[in-house]
This record gives sequence, structure tokens and C-alpha cells, in this order.
Amino acid sequence: MRGKQVIKLTVNGEPYEVEVEPHMTLLEVLRDKLNLTGTKGSCGVGECGTCTVLVDGKPFLSCLTLAITVRDKNILTIEGLARDKKLHILQKAFLEHGAVQCGFCTPAMLLTAKALLDENPNPTREEIREYISGVLCRCTGYVKIIEAIMSAAEEIRRRGSEYE
Amino acid sequence: MSEFSWVGKPHPPLKMEGVPKVTGEAIYTVDVKLPGMLVGKILRSPHPHAKILRIDKSKAERLPGVKAVLTFEDIPKVKYASSFRDMPMATSGTLQPPDQYVLTDKARYVGDPVAAVAAVDEYVAEEALKLIEVEYEPLPAVFTIDDALKPDAPQIHDHAKGNIAAHVKYPFAQGDVEKGFAEADCVVEGTFFVPRQVGAHLEPQACTAYVDPTGKVTVWSPCQLTFPLRRELAKIFSLPEGMINVVTPFVGGSFGTRLSLYCEPIAIALAMKTGKPVKIVHSKEEDFSTLETRTADRVTVKAGFKKDGTLIAMQMKVYTWAGAYAARAYLAGPILLMWGLGHYRCPNTDGECFVVYTNTTPAGAMRGYGNPEASTVVEQIMDMAAEKLGIDPVELRLKNVKKAGEPSNLGPCPIESTYEDECIRIGAERIGWWEKRKLKKQEGVKRRGLGMAAMMHCSGAWPLLIEHSSAMIKFNEDGSVNMIINPAFPGTHCWTTLAQIAAEELGISPEDVHVVTGSTDTAMFDLGSHASRTTYVTGNAVLEAAREAKRQLLERASKMLGVSPEELTVKDGRVFVKADPSKGLTIGEIARSTIWDLKGESFNISGKASWSSRYSSPPTGAYFTEVEVDTETGEVKVLKFVVVIDCGRVINPMTVEGQIQGGISQGIGYALYEDYVINKKTGVVESDNFNTYRIATNYEMPEEIEIIFINKPDPKGPFGAKGVGEPAMVGVAAAIANAVYDAIGVRLRELPITPEKILKALKEKEKG
Amino acid sequence: MVRVLTPFEYFEPKTVEEASNLLRDYGEKVRVLAGGVDLLARIRRREIQVEGLVCIQRIPGLDYVRQDSEGLKIGALTTLRTLERSQEVRENYRLLFDAIHSIHSIQVKNMGTAVGNLCIATPASDVAVSLLALDAQMKIAGPSSERSMPLENFYLGVKRTALQPGELVTGILVPPLPKGSFGAFMKLVRTATDIAKVNVAVRATLRNGGCEEVRIALGSVAPTIVRARKAEEALRGTRLEREAVVEAAERAAEEVNPITDIRSTAEYRREMVKVLTRRAVEKIKVEAGVKG
Repeated sequence: MRGKQVIKLTVNGEPYEVEVEPHMTLLEVLRDKLNLTGTKGSCGVGECGTCTVLVDGKPFLSCLTLAITVRDKNILTIEGLARDKKLHILQKAFLEHGAVQCGFCTPAMLLTAKALLDENPNPTREEIREYISGVLCRCTGYVKIIEAIMSAAEEIRRRGSEYE
Repeated sequence: MSEFSWVGKPHPPLKMEGVPKVTGEAIYTVDVKLPGMLVGKILRSPHPHAKILRIDKSKAERLPGVKAVLTFEDIPKVKYASSFRDMPMATSGTLQPPDQYVLTDKARYVGDPVAAVAAVDEYVAEEALKLIEVEYEPLPAVFTIDDALKPDAPQIHDHAKGNIAAHVKYPFAQGDVEKGFAEADCVVEGTFFVPRQVGAHLEPQACTAYVDPTGKVTVWSPCQLTFPLRRELAKIFSLPEGMINVVTPFVGGSFGTRLSLYCEPIAIALAMKTGKPVKIVHSKEEDFSTLETRTADRVTVKAGFKKDGTLIAMQMKVYTWAGAYAARAYLAGPILLMWGLGHYRCPNTDGECFVVYTNTTPAGAMRGYGNPEASTVVEQIMDMAAEKLGIDPVELRLKNVKKAGEPSNLGPCPIESTYEDECIRIGAERIGWWEKRKLKKQEGVKRRGLGMAAMMHCSGAWPLLIEHSSAMIKFNEDGSVNMIINPAFPGTHCWTTLAQIAAEELGISPEDVHVVTGSTDTAMFDLGSHASRTTYVTGNAVLEAAREAKRQLLERASKMLGVSPEELTVKDGRVFVKADPSKGLTIGEIARSTIWDLKGESFNISGKASWSSRYSSPPTGAYFTEVEVDTETGEVKVLKFVVVIDCGRVINPMTVEGQIQGGISQGIGYALYEDYVINKKTGVVESDNFNTYRIATNYEMPEEIEIIFINKPDPKGPFGAKGVGEPAMVGVAAAIANAVYDAIGVRLRELPITPEKILKALKEKEKG
Repeated sequence: MVRVLTPFEYFEPKTVEEASNLLRDYGEKVRVLAGGVDLLARIRRREIQVEGLVCIQRIPGLDYVRQDSEGLKIGALTTLRTLERSQEVRENYRLLFDAIHSIHSIQVKNMGTAVGNLCIATPASDVAVSLLALDAQMKIAGPSSERSMPLENFYLGVKRTALQPGELVTGILVPPLPKGSFGAFMKLVRTATDIAKVNVAVRATLRNGGCEEVRIALGSVAPTIVRARKAEEALRGTRLEREAVVEAAERAAEEVNPITDIRSTAEYRREMVKVLTRRAVEKIKVEAGVKG
């Protein structure tokens, strides 16, 4: 199979039909074809985690995923985390705890944290450290990111909802 | 209760500064997209040193989808300085010599740009690069300070004999060092090597340029110094400054790396040639291999003390390992001398710095600009002296720290405020310095050690550099203001801090300060974000502008209320009579009636100010750490950090804490992990991405971090604030190095302190 | 210095047989795409050139982990994360769990497969080192036949495996662990998420305080992962007395052939083989309650 073909993707709940070539990464398709530039790229070698999106709920590196291999799957990008103009509790917590500085790792951190809380609503500090360790942050020293995730987890448990 | 409404209170980022970052809507330079945009790509030299004999671009030009191919022949033959020739070192009067072409005919490092293409997409652009035929004549190359200084070393630049880019004598030398050493009871001396460090911001370097039909150039760039960038670009392309607009989108980290100019002129040249917007985005390999790193330096220090610990003589000799172009190494090396010799009180000082060209990636600035380097060396010398003198390291520092009114570290300008002694005392107490050091046993496989470093930095680089910022504030009908500023915003949330300053003065909420920023066309001059200056210098400009706006507001209110302006005050969006708070008007009422004045006396209440800083308010602090060293594997674990910071009055504790935590992570990386490896035979950067160049993950952070603010106002800072961005990392590596020595009794004179080096040193120690 | 992948042909076989035929027909020009983490990064960096990828992700029946009387069975598409979360792995094959758990990127573990990790044939693989200590068998399918091969014989050199044209690995079999089996995995890294400078996996069968059988696997210290046979010899039949352990560790260090690279030095690696081997055996002793 060579050349262009149309694949179906569900991104942030929206169905898309998009023309791709086999060598195009999910990152390229999201950013260049769907104009969803919230997903960022950096190292391209699987080391920084910046390009993380959720594929069927799981954190994936979009820069090392061929778009064609995730056809028909559900993709969640940072643009899909807020709902009906309401921020996800993780997003609010990141802001309120000062867990965001330059913001370039933030989409990946938030989506990774969401996957963690979906899997384990009551994580320990150690479990958070482990789960987010694949996403590098050069600004914050990670302290406030971990605090924000701890606090958001508690808030989501208390409310029984990810949104206020 | 605090006397302030906003200053000193933790404030999350303003909505406009924070929300787009969590929703993915924030546009960074890599995200800029314009209709008809082309992709630019740079052909870089594979040789560390080579003459270009011939370039044939015809094949590349013929490839469908290629819109332009440029070589040195197509670019103005104007030399520039990547760190801006117009950044004068005010004190020494030296100016950066331009030594670089946009596209070169002589490659001086692996990665030097030799040609560029613009094409319809990344794939075509890459293909086109392969079709450019370049015939090189490889020349002998030098990669180290020592090799570059050999008498028969190849000359990298015609203007720099012996590859010396600069030889700078310490401009603030005092007394007579030889006499000082002769009078000293104890002299310590040591040579240290401090390594390169990569900014390692996550957002790849990028730039988009567009030239409109009138010839106006718009450049989207993550550069931290937008106005100096504009001026340098104007020189390169012989354009008036007003014909260039530098736009700063959100910046995905910068840490000093982005003080300089990189692919901007190439993007402009391609845009001029094609008439289309051209965007260049680096690969991360390109970033690691071609962006300026922190300089590496070989530093020899000699320090003489009296028996009681008084420092009486200090001498430093620095060899700064610059790359193929002087870049910011030209300033960073000499400033290292100033940080080192100017920190402690000392009557006899002397020093010199040689900045040495090599055929490697240009070196320059990274967070702290020579101070983490100086601190790593001088703070270890202080510990060595303390041991030799039999004085506790804490006491030795307390004996020698400067007081307010003494000359600052960056020149004769007096220190406005310093609480360094208090920082040291509090830090020692909080980490349990005396108790733990008494209990310490050097036995067993895992050994613990305590270390410390004292710190003095700067709030803006006056009197070395011109420190000029401006701000405009105008009231809207609703009582909110627009604050027009342009300090660049690499993630420090300075909009929020500056809005807190404005809001405090104007009696409104920070969320009612709408920040207008992001381009040189929009705002008045601002030098940019560097040297821990934004809060201190731009903050003062904002405060001055707010004062003027407030003066106009109260004057207008006084007319409306029929009382004198002195009788009025403003708080929570309302102007009222101090003696009778019930009598007043909302700011909205005043602003609206002033803009829409039916009597025909309309005006817009506003203030503007330029602040040219002429003061030295150095932030000071102390870093204490406890580490554990595994003597079998050589691994170092940082267990705890206590950082006590005197950054004047803290405007926003949340962001200041964030700076310090981030500084600890970068300092830990600098001390233990980050290793910039250049192949000794080929000159190729081997640590060219995050897999080979290791920055701290969350696992490398200590379990315990305690941050303490002295929080005493500085006389010249806005609301008493001083800088903190760089200080956050200055003493981290020094404290770790001292703690490692405390743990295992071996001092490593070269960062990073890797397990390999520790084991080797321990073995040598065993052998005696 | 490039940001995109080179264009290539893409195949998505529906069966192992179809995949095998493609691999046979195209030979060296194509590669198998499973998780893709290592492969796509290397294509992007132009370290390898490919004309085509054979994506096996949609072949049914290759994503499983189960334990039966023959041992632990892992499919070619089973991700590291699936294994890490498998109760069988965590409870019964702790050595494998520890190795996977030491890989600190949830993203890589969600995408990367255990089989893929073995097939990229890096000598630093944590998974391969633990599976070598566990004496894993590779299940290999070819165009006309299937075969199995001990992991120990699978590697021929750096990034080179014993796979023949047309062959692909369809699964792994980890034999059942005998009673009295203990294991320990250890590694040294620069920072937590880095690949190992040195990694060591030891699996021993202890009976009545004596070491009946032992396998020591070492990574990042030779062109392939290796077994430290002389070190094993020094432990077999002993009661893991301190002298025997020290002797084994010394021997292990002599058996390896490390290099200096960006992550560490040859000298350090050799020394660390000694330290980690000793520490791994000591850990087993503690777990097994062996004194001395």
C-alpha cells in the first residue's frame, strides 16, 4: 500500500475522514491536517513525552505512531479535555497550583494525568511520579505538577465528576 | 492583615496567560500557520572546519515544489553577532564584534549553515537539501581550549589571532593581590572545569518570516530579546528598524538559550526571495547541535584568608570555551569573573578571562549567565578554605558576605539591599547543619553529606548593560486597563506578576489588567527577558506608568467629587474620600465619563513610562542540601534541598516557588547528569537529543524541598521586589558538589559529578 | 536533522502467514512494525532506511498473556504495559515484572511490545536480560514452518538476530519456575527513564539452603545480552556463602566485554557487573532467608 488514502479517526469525539500517507505520524496528521496544534512535538525519539495523546484512553507518543495504524480508534487530544467550555478539574488544578510554566509539556502532562486518574482514581504520590515520568518538564521541577494531580484526584473523587 | 491587596499573595496565572496553555490553544512559534506558507530548511556543514569551494544548487532548484535555494552568494555579505553587537558592556566599553554570516562560505563547526531552501513541504525541502552539491575543502579543526591555544593551531577567524576572541581583564580589580597573598595566613588554590549545559527547552527553535508587499518584515520568533533582535536584523538587511516587526508568540522555554538570534535571518531571506511566508522549525537534534549552550570554562582560583577567616586576596583566571562564533560567550566568560570576584568582600582582587574560539557549537548564555559556573568554583574554594582554616563553612561565609551599601558584584554601584547573612543562618538551621555534621560518620556503603552555597546575583545587568523597559497603561470605560508591555514571556508568568504590580497601584484586580503584548510594533521598548530583570526593571516601568495613570484618575475624580486629589484613595475598583469612604465613584464611572465627556473635555486616562535602571539590587540566598553517595556504584542521590531566598518583597509567592523548584531541577542536572559530548575526532555533538543528553526527570528531584523567603523590601524594586529567575539555580550545583565532598572526602573538580568520576576518584584516594 | 519519516510502502497482513510471505519476498528492504517506538525513531533519524513496513498490529490472536502448565505465554503484540498489569506476571514471574516496572515511561510501555523489545536486539534491554535469566523460548514462524529457539541463541550481534528471511517472532514462552525459585533484577541508569548502563538479572533455585541451579544474565556489557556462565558455576552447589558470591561477582566481571559510550565507560561497567551481581545474589539470599 503506497500513496494517499482516506482513514477514519475519532478525535475528541468528532469523527474525521482524513487523507494520509502511510509514513505520516499521528502528530503530523493532528497538527497539519486537523489543525489541532495543542499537541506538541519535540524530541522525535520517544524520550520527552511532549507529543502524548490518548489512544483509546491510553497515553501514546503521537510522534512515533503512524496515523494509519490508529484508524478507527478514539483519540483524545488536549483540545478535547475541556467540555462545554468547562475546564477539566485537572486543568484547573494545574493553573491553581502553579503547575504550568512555559506550558509546552502541559498538554502531555494533563493527558497522562487523566489516563492515570481514569485507571487509578486514588493514586499515591509515588504512583503519580511513576506514571508521569515519561513526560519531561524543564521548567517546574515537577513539584507543583505532582501537587496539582494529587489535588485534582481528590477533587474528582469528592465530586464524582471530572468537571465542576 | 497585609497592607497590600495583591502584592505578596499567591496568584495563579492570569486567565489570558494560563488558560490557553491548559486547553492547547496557546500558539507557540512552532504553531504559527499562515496562508501560502512555505517550509524552510537549512543545509548544515558536516565538517567542523572547511572552505566551501563550490556550491551547485541547480538540481535542487529544479525539484518540483522548491521555491527558493539560497547560498552565501544570495545573502547580504554583512557580518552579524548572534548575541547582538549593540549589547554594549557599559562598564568595559567593549562591543561584541560581528563575526558571523547568515550563510557562510567557510564552515567553522559541524552544523554551520551553508545553504537554505524554501519548499512546499517538509518532504520536498529535505529532498532539496540532498540535491545541493557542496564541494568542501576540509581544514584542520580544534575542539578544545588547549588545542585552540597551541601555537600551530588552525586559525578559525582572521580577526582573532591565536583563536582568542576576547581577552578581558577584571574591570573592578582592587588593591594588590600579590601583597594580599603574602599577608594571608592561608591560601587555597584550585583549577576547576565547569561544563557546557544545554537550555533543553522542549519547544524546538523555530521562526516564521513574512515580507508584505510594502516591504515590511514580520518575524515570529521565540527570542527573549525582541528589540535587540529587531535592531540586529535591521543591520543585516539594511532596513530601518520600523520596517521590521518582531512578534513573540508563547515561548516553550528558553533559559537563556533564546537570548540569541538563530534561524531568523535565514527565514527572512527565504521570505524575501519567495514573497511567501516561510517557516523554519528545527529538529531537536538541530537544537542540541547548533543552539548556544552555557559556556564551559576552565577556572583557576586562588584565595588568601587571615586566620580568622577574613578573605583578603582573590585572583581568578578563566579560559572560556567558546564555539565557532563568539556569541554570548563573549560576555558570559568575563561576567563569570565578576560573579566570582565580586560576591564576597575582598580588598585585593584581580583576574582575567580569555574567550577561546574552537570549531564547536557556539556557546553562550544559560540561566545565570556565568554565575552557576562561578558559584560552582568559588563556593568549593570557600569550603576548601574553611577546612584548611578549621572554620565552619557557614561561619566562613558569614564572615565575608557583603552588606548593603558596599559595591555590588557587577561593579561599583552600591548594593541597595542584601540579606545574605540571614539566608545563610536560616538555611543552616532548617537543614540541621550543626547537629548533622557532628553526627556524621564516614563509614558504610552509603554515605551522607551536607553541603551549602551562598549566592549573590543581579536584578538586571546594570551597570554592565543598559537596562531599559517601558510600559503603557490606559483605562477602559469598564474600569479595567490595558497594560502594553513587551518583555517576552518564556513561562515565568511575568504578565501576572506585572499585572499584580499594576493592580496594586491602581486599586483594581489583576484580572482587570488586560495585557497587550507580543510584538515590537505594539509596545514601547523593552530590552527583553534576561538577567532576572523583568519584575525589577519592567516592573518599575509598569509601576511608574500606573502611578501616572492613577494621578490622572484621582485628578479627574477630584473634579467630579469636588474634593482635592490628596483626600482620595482607590481600592477594589473604587475611588473614594479617605475620611468618608461612602463618598466615591467606581473607576468605571470615572473612566467612562472621561472618555465620553459631554462637555467636550474627553481624554483617555493613561500613563506611560520608560524605566532605565541605574541601581543594583542583587538577590541573595543560600542553598543547603543533603545527599547520599553509594560508594560502590558512585551514584549520588539528592535527598533534600533548603533554599532561602532574599529576592526582596515577593510579589507572587507561587511563581517564585515555581522558579526555585525548576532551578533546583536544572541545577541538579548541571551538577550530576547533563553532559554535552562533542566527538573528539569529528566535532559532532553526540549528546544531540533528550535520549543522549539527560535532564532531570521527576525521579531525580529530592523528596524534600523547603523554600524560605526573607521577604524584605528592596529600596529600588517595584514594591521592593528583586529578581529571582536565574538565582533559582545559581548555587544548586555548588551545594551538591560540597555535599558530595562532605560525604566521601573526595572533591571532583569537573561537573557533571558522574558515578564514573566518583568511583575513579575514590579508587585514587584509596591508592593514596 | 530531519523531522519527518521517509516515505515507505505499508503492508498490513491479516495473518502470520501473510506477514511471513511479505518478509520473505521483500527481505532486508522491509521491517516489521509492532509498537514502533524504536523503529520509527530510527527511521526518523535516518539510522536505517526502509522501503516498506509490515505492520502486524492487526493480525488477530497475537495479543495475549496467559499461564498454563507449559509456562507463561506472551504474544507478539502484547505490550509491556499489559504484562506489567498482568497478575500472573506480577505474582509468578516477579523477575520479569521488576524489569518491566523499571522502565519508566507509561507511553513506551503502552506502545512497546515485549517481543519487539527483544527483536530490536539491543544489548541494553531490561526485558531481554530478565527473560534470558528466565530461560525464555522464542516462538518463530516462517513461510513454511514454525520453530522455537532459546532466547540465549537468538542474538548474533549488536542489532542482529538469528531470524531467517521470512521469519518473525510470534510469541515467547517462559518455562514454569521450579519450586524454590528466586530472582533479582538490578540496573544502573543515568536518570530514571534512561536505558541501562548495566543491568543484571539473576534467577536461582534454592533447595535446603543450597543453590541447585542459577542463571545470571547481563546487559549493556557486551555486543549482546550475555550469560555469566563462569559466575553461575561459582555459585552452583554452594550455600551462597559470602566467598562464593564474591567469587561469582568477580568472575562475572571477567566474562564481560563492555565498551565506553555516551552512557558510561567500559571500566565502570565492568566494575558494576561485579557490584550488581553480588547485590542481586545478596537480595535473593535475603528473600530466601539464607544466612551468611
